[in-house]
Amino acid sequence: MKKSNVVKFAPQFAALALLGCVSVHAMADQLADIKQKGELVCGVLGTDEPFSFIKDQSSREIVGYEVDLCNDVAKSIGVKPVLKQLAVAARIPELQQGRVDLLAASLTHNHEREALIDFSLSTFITGQKVMVKKSSGVNQLTSLAGKKVLTVKGSSMEQNTKKALPTAEIVSFDNSPQAFLALQQGKGIGYVNDETSLLDNYSKLGAAAKDYTILPQSISTEHLAFGLKKGEPAFHDQINKVLHNLEVSGEADKLFMKWFGPSTNMHFQQRTFKIATDKID
Amino acid sequence: MYNFNLSVLLSGQYHDWLVAGLLLSIKLALLTLIFSLPMALLIAVLRLSPVSIFRAAAIAYVESIRNVPLLAHMLFWYFGAPEILPEPVKAWLYERNVEAASSVIALVLYTSAYMAEDIRSGIRSIPKEQMEAGRALGFGFLDTMRLVILPQSLRLTIPPLISQMLNLWKNTSIAMVIGVGEMMYQAQQVESASFRSYEAFSFATAAYLSISLLITLLSSWYQQRYPVRSA
Repeated sequence: MKKSNVVKFAPQFAALALLGCVSVHAMADQLADIKQKGELVCGVLGTDEPFSFIKDQSSREIVGYEVDLCNDVAKSIGVKPVLKQLAVAARIPELQQGRVDLLAASLTHNHEREALIDFSLSTFITGQKVMVKKSSGVNQLTSLAGKKVLTVKGSSMEQNTKKALPTAEIVSFDNSPQAFLALQQGKGIGYVNDETSLLDNYSKLGAAAKDYTILPQSISTEHLAFGLKKGEPAFHDQINKVLHNLEVSGEADKLFMKWFGPSTNMHFQQRTFKIATDKID
Repeated sequence: MYNFNLSVLLSGQYHDWLVAGLLLSIKLALLTLIFSLPMALLIAVLRLSPVSIFRAAAIAYVESIRNVPLLAHMLFWYFGAPEILPEPVKAWLYERNVEAASSVIALVLYTSAYMAEDIRSGIRSIPKEQMEAGRALGFGFLDTMRLVILPQSLRLTIPPLISQMLNLWKNTSIAMVIGVGEMMYQAQQVESASFRSYEAFSFATAAYLSISLLITLLSSWYQQRYPVRSA
């Protein structure tokens, strides 16, 4: 019975094997292949505002920071951008199997993933930062040495703060509202949290916000980048060239402000990174 | 199967954190004890004072402190009370270890309310005729207390006070909510840094248990060595 099954499906196996050969052949140069297809398939999440999300429920159109970047890459190659929505866990497998050309899916660049795929220049760099009172006169991380720094228990922030500020005295609270209150009361000089939480806290300060500032340097950083298949130098160069040109022309800054700026829900006042590196710590 | 790794506790960075936490817990308990004993004595005497305003004040103190959870006391003395201080005093205080200071204040106030009740019941166990006799002989209220009542009653009061010490020792763990680096705080730090939860909390449990047992032993030793004399 088993044997006859194999025999029965032999033609299908042969066809599959052949298909595999064909696709491997076609993938030899992904950039040429994309040009031939006439479309660039970008894998996006579609659920992560403002990177890629559905803004208008009636049109179901996916928009966002990474979508705009993907459109720019497609334009530079002269093809039509096609968005494919992916689940978080499916991102790398879909890319490896060639069902998408490019991952523009809130993808964190880390060392574990470098073994699996290639990364473009970092398109977004965020991190854990420090909020201080302006009156403290602290304007860089090093001035916090030996000072009291407030943060939240059981978080990676505690560990990262210890690493970045080994001489600071760290006082941890059960939750971030308590740590933030302690900063407001002056019980510590700095308050460490991830950037988006800090900005959220900052926006809730109201009129008092003018007395506070977030230090530009990060305690620890997280890089988001485009993911692409390994061993595609031409395509890789093309993407990095587009990103580099966006940075040089000032277009990257405009895009950032469009999706993250003060008029958005993200409330970023300014961009603290440049699209310039594909190196991570 | 969880792999229990004892070596984490015996040496290295995590060991140092845990020992630092234990030492700070002991310090908190001792400091609190030193301040709360005289405070408790004062309140107990006030509660038995012939002056009604003093009695009322002492009753108000004991009831308001005992009927609010220690956690609320901690948060109040850290986040609430210091805010009414003038700005320069606040700045001076906040640069120092305001966390530990607030926790000691909360613990002293809380513990002394309980201890005051124990001391008062000890005093009340001395027949009131002794007070009357003392007063009849020409001693004032305070002198009769000091020379006649307290020497007898304190002997009765020591065992319940030791048991309050036991409570105090365990109560120091609440200080972790205001960022005091005592035993429980450090155990949690070790847990979040190393994911060695079982080891960290085993250490804390063993530390609390052994000190508590020491206090219990002290209590039974005292009761054997200084049995209560019948009046």
